[in-house]
This record gives sequence, C-alpha cells and structure tokens, in this order.
Amino acid sequence: MSRRDASDLALLRAAIRDTGVRRWAIVRAILAGTMALGSAVGLAAVAAWLIAKAAQMPSPADVALAATVVRFFGISRGVFRYLERLASHDAALRGVVTLRERAYDRLARSGARTVLGLRRGDIVARMGADLDAIGDAVVRAIIPLGVAVTVSAISVAIVAFLLPLAGLALAVCLVLAGVVPAILTARSARIAAVAGARAHAEVSAAALSAMDGATEHRVWGTLDDAAAALRGADRDAEHAHELAARPAAWAAGFQALFSGLALVALVALGVLAVQRGDLDGPSAAVVALLPLAAFEAVGAVPAAIMQYFRSAAAARRLAEMVDETPADEATGPREVPAASSLALDALSVAWPGMEPTPPVSARVDPGQVLAVVGRSGVGKTTLLTTIAGALPPAAGAVTLDGRPSSPADTGTVVAMTAEDAHVFGTTVLENLRVARGDVTEDEAWDALTLVGLDGWVRGLPAGLATELGAGGRSVSGGERRRLLLARAGLAPAPVALVDEPAEHLDDAGADALRAFVTRMRAQGRTVVLVTHDLSLLDLADSVVSLDD
Amino acid sequence: MKPLDPRLVRRIGPARRHILVTAGLGFVTALLILVQALVIARLLAPVLSPVPLADDGLHWWGRIVPEGARTLATGLTVLAAVVAARTAVAWLQERLAHRAGVRVISQLREMVVDHVATRGPRWSAGGRTAEVATLVTRGLDDLLPYFVRYLPQLALAVTVTPVMLVVVLGLDWLSAVIVLVTLPLVPMFMILVGLVTQERSAKHLEAMQRLGARTLDLIEGLPTLKALGRERGPAARVRELGDAQRRATMGSLRVAFLSGMVLELLTTLAVAIVAVTMGFRLIAGEIGIETALAVLVLAPEVYLPLRNVGTHFHASADGLAAADAAFTLLDEKDPARARRSLGAAPDVRGRAIEVTGLAVATPDGTRLAPAALGLVAAPGAVTALRGPNGEGKSTALLALTGLLAPDAGTVAVGGDPVLTDDAAVDEASWLAQVAWVPQRPDLGPAGRTLSLGQRQRRALDRAFDSGRPLVLLDEPTSHLDRASRAEVIARMRALADAGATVVVATHEAEVLEAADAVVEVTAARAEVAP
Repeated sequence: MSRRDASDLALLRAAIRDTGVRRWAIVRAILAGTMALGSAVGLAAVAAWLIAKAAQMPSPADVALAATVVRFFGISRGVFRYLERLASHDAALRGVVTLRERAYDRLARSGARTVLGLRRGDIVARMGADLDAIGDAVVRAIIPLGVAVTVSAISVAIVAFLLPLAGLALAVCLVLAGVVPAILTARSARIAAVAGARAHAEVSAAALSAMDGATEHRVWGTLDDAAAALRGADRDAEHAHELAARPAAWAAGFQALFSGLALVALVALGVLAVQRGDLDGPSAAVVALLPLAAFEAVGAVPAAIMQYFRSAAAARRLAEMVDETPADEATGPREVPAASSLALDALSVAWPGMEPTPPVSARVDPGQVLAVVGRSGVGKTTLLTTIAGALPPAAGAVTLDGRPSSPADTGTVVAMTAEDAHVFGTTVLENLRVARGDVTEDEAWDALTLVGLDGWVRGLPAGLATELGAGGRSVSGGERRRLLLARAGLAPAPVALVDEPAEHLDDAGADALRAFVTRMRAQGRTVVLVTHDLSLLDLADSVVSLDD
Repeated sequence: MKPLDPRLVRRIGPARRHILVTAGLGFVTALLILVQALVIARLLAPVLSPVPLADDGLHWWGRIVPEGARTLATGLTVLAAVVAARTAVAWLQERLAHRAGVRVISQLREMVVDHVATRGPRWSAGGRTAEVATLVTRGLDDLLPYFVRYLPQLALAVTVTPVMLVVVLGLDWLSAVIVLVTLPLVPMFMILVGLVTQERSAKHLEAMQRLGARTLDLIEGLPTLKALGRERGPAARVRELGDAQRRATMGSLRVAFLSGMVLELLTTLAVAIVAVTMGFRLIAGEIGIETALAVLVLAPEVYLPLRNVGTHFHASADGLAAADAAFTLLDEKDPARARRSLGAAPDVRGRAIEVTGLAVATPDGTRLAPAALGLVAAPGAVTALRGPNGEGKSTALLALTGLLAPDAGTVAVGGDPVLTDDAAVDEASWLAQVAWVPQRPDLGPAGRTLSLGQRQRRALDRAFDSGRPLVLLDEPTSHLDRASRAEVIARMRALADAGATVVVATHEAEVLEAADAVVEVTAARAEVAP
C-alpha cells in the first residue's frame, strides 16, 4: 500500500514507530502521570474518609495513618507531575531526533526528482515543525490519553470496591465524559482542517496582497478595495471558525454535564447506602466526594484529540513529501567519466500537471557551452532539472555519451547549481567544500579569485573561516551568485548546469560568469547555462530558446 | 509580561466586551461552585454525623442553601440544577470565547494591514515586511488560545478565588488562615524559582535556538547537496545536532518545569493541610461535620483557577506577544504624515517635470540611491532612467509618485514644487495624474491567479488606458516575450506622442532606443547619516 492511501491513524502510527520511542519510555511517563493525577484522586478519597471518620470522634491514633497519607498525596502530586513531564518530553525529543535523522536519510536517498522538486519552505516546515508535531503526539496525546484511562480505572475501582452500583455509575459517566467530547472535538477538528484551512489561506493572501501591493493600491486608488477584500476574507474565516467552534463548545458542555451527573448520582447512592445501612459513613464520604477529583484526567481528552489531528496531518505531509518517487536504486561507487558530451533530442520537459515546453534539440561536447534563454516561468529551470536526470523528459530524450540520462547521474555526471541554491550557515571554505569534500585552501582561493570574490573574502573578519548565512555574515545577492559560481566550478562532475536567475547581471556578475565559462572550457567541461541576459549569449557555442 | 494587555481593552471593542462577559461568567461560576459545595455539605452531614445535627454548620452562608437541603429530594434537586447551570455556563463560555477570539484577531489584523498599507514604500523597504506578514498571517492566531483557554481562567482566578476565600473565612477562620498564608507563597515561590533559573534557561534557550537553526539550515540545503551529489553525509550530522539540541532542551525544561512543580506542590499541600487540621479539630469537637465538609470541598476551588492560569501561561504568552507586536506597530509614528502640505497639485499636462538633486538613503543608511539625481522629463517625450542594479532607478520612480519622501532634492512641475524632503502636494490630486507600473505588479485579489507575465501585461494595459498624464514604468519589458516587448514599446511611444510624460526605468537596449532622453542614475556612499 502506498503511504498516500493509508489512513491518518496508520500514517501517524508509522511515524511514531519511526521515532523509535521505546514502549517502556511511554509506559514510564504514563505511570508517573498516573501517580500525579492519582494523587489528586487519592487525596480527595483519603481526605473525605479522614473527615468522615473524625466526625465519629475516634481516638486521634485511628486517623493518624490517614493524615499521613493525605500529606503524602499533597506532596506527591507535584513531584510526580514534574517527573511525568520530564519523562514524556525526554521520550518525545529523543523520538524526534531519531525521526529527523531517518526522514533526512530517506529523503536524501529518495529520487533526485523528489529532492530537486522540493520547495525550500516546504522542507523546513516538514522537517522542522511537522516532526515536532509528531513528537507532540507522544507528549500531548498518547500520554494524557493513557493517564486518563488509568486514573479513571483507579477511581472506578475505589468506588466499585466500596459500592459496586456507584462504581458502575462512575464508570458510565467517565466513559461518556471521555468519549462524547472526543467525538465532538474530532468533528470540530475536521471542520477546521477543511473549511478553516481554506478560509485561512484566503485571509493570508488578501492580507499579503493588501500590504505588498500597497503603493500600487494608493496610486490607483484601490486601497479600499484591498481592505474590503481582506474584510470579506476575514468574515468568511470567522464563519468557518464558528462552524468548528460549535462542536467544541458542546464538548465543553458535555464534560461539565457528565462530571456533574456523576456527582449527583454518587452523592445520592452514597447517602442512600448509609441510610439503608449498607455502607459506613467514611466509605460513603469517599464515594460521594471522589467524583470531584476523578474527572480531571478525562478533562484532557479534547486537547489530546486536537493534538492527534495536528500530528496526523503532520505525519501525512511528511509521508507525502518522501513518497513522491521510489528511492534511487542502490548505486555503488560508479565510474564517472572525465568528460561527457550531452545531447538534447527534441526534448520537451514538464513537471506533472504543467504545460510541456516546446521541443528543443542541441548537442554539447566537452569544452562547449549551451545557453538556454526564454521568458520567466517558461520552464528553463525544469529543463535543467530534466537534463540533470532528476525528471523524466515529457517527450524526446536527454543522452549523456549516447545513453539516456537517469536519476543516478544527478550530482555525479551532472552537477546542477539552481537559482535558489543554498548558502549554508557555515564558513566560506565549507560552503565551497559542498561541491567536493577535499577542496584545499589554495583551490578555494583560486576559485574565489576566478569569480572576483577574493577581495571580498579577504575583507571578511576571518577570511575563509568566516561564518556565512544564518547566524553568520549576511551575503548580498551579487556575492551569493558569485559564491555559487565558484562552488559550481569546484564540483568534479563533467557536466555543469548553471541557472543564472538575475534578470540583469551587474558588471562584476557578468565578468564572473565570463571567467567561469572560460575556465570550464579550458578544463574540457560541458556547460549548460540558463540566462536572461542576452548580452551574454556570445559566451555560448549554441543557444536554444524556449519561447515559442 | 502582564496577564492582560490594557491596549486590548482600550482599543479593541470585541475584546473589551468579551472581558466583561467573561468576568460576569466568572462570578456566576463562583456562585455555582459555592452552592454546589454547600449542598454537598448539607446532604452528607446528616448521614456522617453520629448524632443528629444540632445547629447550622454553614453559619451565615446557610442562607444561600437552607437546612431544607439536608433532605435527599431537595438537596439533589438543587445539586442537579447547579449541574445544569454549570453545563450551560461551560458551553456558553467556550462558545463566546471562540467568537470573541476570532473577532479580535480579525480586527487587529485589519488594523495592522491598514496601517502598513499607508506607511509608504520607504517603510516597506526597511525589511520588516516579512516579520509583519508572519504576524498577520500566523502570529495573531496565537491570540485564540489566549481568549479561549487563558482569559476564562484568569477571570476565575480574580472571581472564584477571592469569593471562596471569603466563604471559607466565614465558615472556619483557621482553615482560612492556612489558605491565606499559602496563597501568597504561590506567586512568591514562582518568582523566586524564576529568578534563580533565569540565567540558566536563557543560556539553554540560546543554545536550543542556535542548534535548531543549524539543523534547519542543513535540511534546507538538501536539494543543493543532491544536485551536487553530496547528499549522503549529513544525516549523521543531523543526528549529532539533534542530540545536542535535545540535551539543551531537556536542560532548560528541567528548570522550566520547576516553577510548575512549586505551584502544584504548594496548592495541593495546602489543601492536604487544611483537611488534616480539620480532621483533628473534628475529633476534638472544635468544628462540626457540616462546616468541615463545606470547607473540604471549597478549599481546592480556591487554588484551581491559579493552577490553570499557570498551566495556560505559555499559550497566553505567545498570544500576548503577538498583540504587543501589533500594538507596537500601530503606535509607530509615520514621518510621512508630518509633511508640510504644498496645496493642490499643479496640472502636469503640457508642463515639464523637473527633478533636482534628488537623493534617497538606502534602508541601512550607508548609501544614497539615487544620489543627486537631476532630470527634466518633457511632456510628449519618453525619458529613460539607466544604471546598474541598486543605483536607485525604482526609488526615483517611487519618489515621482510622491509616496516616498526624498532625503534631499525637489520635484517640480513647470517651476511649481510638488515634492521636497519635508513637504508634498495634496496626495489625491497628485496621484490622480500619475500612472505607475512597478516590477512584479500585484493587482490585488484579481491578480492572484495570473502568471507574472500576465500580471505585467494587465498592469501595463491599466497604465496605458488610464489617460493619466504622467506615466512611470519600472522595467516594463521584463517577464515578456519578444512580441509583447515590441508591442509595449510601441504603446509607450504612442502615449508620449499623444502628449503624456513617460519616465521609464530600464536595462533593455530596445527600450533605450525608443527613448527621447536617457538619464544615468547613480548611487553614492552617504557621507553623513541622514
């Protein structure tokens, strides 16, 4: 069965299994949680017994043990709650670390098409917040539900031992107070997931448009229209939320109702049992007052159900991201040729659901450069992704040295530098080593000099060892493009694909690109260059255009 | 952080109303809890007392639930009525809280968007748009748990807790003293724990965030690694970073959960002490069973709202932080509003636009782009602005729309100034004459389904058909194919030939060829911070 067709519950189960969280870790947290909330139940029960017993004016020694137990429960609740929170968070965090490593590894091994088709925001959301949400399923859904079951069972056992009929009444009320709000909450969560998410997306789009296009709206006098669009979207979102809030409110009402009914029933049964002589006073006090403490654990059920839905949605998104294509066939170390010639034969490319590009043909031999031009959005990046072997052609063929390209060529025979290629939050040198692990400092300086970044790096506080990107030194757009070119030049693959997104390169950028192309030619590498800047076409041996 | 932002109360109508309603429901809840406790005491006392009850153990509070409730039928009826009422209040509370929460969020969002939309392009260029976008699309949603979970508990803490305390005092002063002594210990110990652990948790938090950022950075770069064939190595590094992050997180949680433990410990222990003390006093005959039962049921209720406030504190902190960010933004003064008015705008038709010494500082203040731009845009002519990226072509066009106040220089029409560094003509009368097409036009909701190229065409059509005499075009031919480019250039030419003043920022040789005058735009290092 494909992961996509699996139920949410199955997906979440699979994801939690992948966290490698040991059963014992969860059991331990549930035990601690049971001790914590069980202490509250115990405190209520023993305190009721103590007061009722004391009313019979026995000798103080007769209640000494009960008094000690009450004090013990007074302390144990806080202590065990602390232990439970530590145990559950530790288990979940360990699980998320394992899951993240496995998900990363699985993603890295999955088809080049999957990986290159990922949008940056998506990966960060899936591997960050979504994995955390799966971990939260342990802390906020599984453990509270487990504690609700054990504590309810303990409460029922205590009451049933004293008065079986009252135990039955309590059990019925506890089950109803758990199950009915759970069903209503699930309903609320489903409505929110469908209508709420759609309405929320509309609100976001309207708000962003009103802000991003503000100057335009002012010039054209459409500010009010934009504000009205946002108001309309907000009203729709309020309405969608209203629909979801209705069952949630009933859930809250029913919790109060069933715990109240239990109180009424057990007070009545307790009093009647004493009047009939079936039960002594202290036991009746326990039966009558226990419902005041017994419902705290099931009170956590709606929140746990909400968390289940959040976590299941996260598990689904994660599964879908990894499930796009089967993993790469196991590839041992492959023979990578020193030079490779590339041919496009009536090649037309498209991501699934996209309009295929017009067919193009070209042949590029080692030491030659092919330029690809075309207006924005026409599919130039898709063409590069296809040439890289990550995407099967929509029609026609890509051949490398006469054989069709395959996903196994991505990164080995064909190295691609995408327009949004990542500058890692590490040193300049490590950023260049992304292309090849053994780049020496001399090689790094050579590559930087080629693209005219040597002066910039020398000016950095720690030269090659300066941290860049997130948490490090910020890199301007022009510097970034040139750094990526330097990296592309260091990659050992015989075919280099470079996506140059700038609509208009500044002089330094154009110089860097010329120097890069000259160097690649001299090394006998095969280059495919996407560009918008028609003044750079003289660099190429041949040009294909994707415009009709 | 304050539990309640006064600005929410003062400036957001639905928030103010909801807080009043919540407080009202809090009092109703307090009353219901009180009646419930008193009825339980009434019902149980006769069966637990070894001798018939002589006097009213509920003292003055017996007036609320008379002794008649000692009979099973009456007592249970009252108890059932209380249960029904509490069910209704729980339903109503949840329902109203959701409704008020989303209303407040909508209103704040609309206020922020409205405010930002009129802040002008200089503010937008200041690099805070992403932060504000996150705030209005996601951040403000954190206010919902604040309204639904936290605020009701806060209301109960300020209603139920004092009411119960007064009742306990009326029933049994010694128990009230125990409660009164422990109650202030709760905030005291929590503050103390907070102070002792502050430095440690700040250190852990910083380590957590750093490690988290590094892991995400590595994950973000996966497509790049795959494209270079280097994707296999980092899984182990992801694990290492994750483990380090887990250790840092646990370190901070071990500390953070301490305050929760203190809260639970003090509140539960106090209830235990009240129970035990009453037990021994019952044996000594110092209090009656009816009183003891009422106090036993009421004592936990004094602490319960406090505990819940503590539990939902973090949910509330995020919501309040979002509200704070929104109000801070709303309270920022807009310097553009302080501009002097130069009266109604002169008619642009048939008169040249003169720009002298125009300079605009970049957001970081290090450069002027453009620096000292001077040009005369004649009516019936196309004036092109040329220059490398980042030299200030788009900014110069924005200044011509009048929406961006320059740091120096003037824009005049036939000698009449329309824009200086501290004055501008009436916005509406000027904008009515200006057509402007930015790079990447937005077009509002209508433009969302269109591709960038289509939007560009649509925006250009709007400008060409507007009949406005001053037409400002920013890279009008980007995102267009060759045929469309030629058509756009032809229409731009035709517009000028018909008498319009056209100013176009461009790189394209074809556009430059079609221009009557070409002005070089250059930036300069800002000598003194403006």
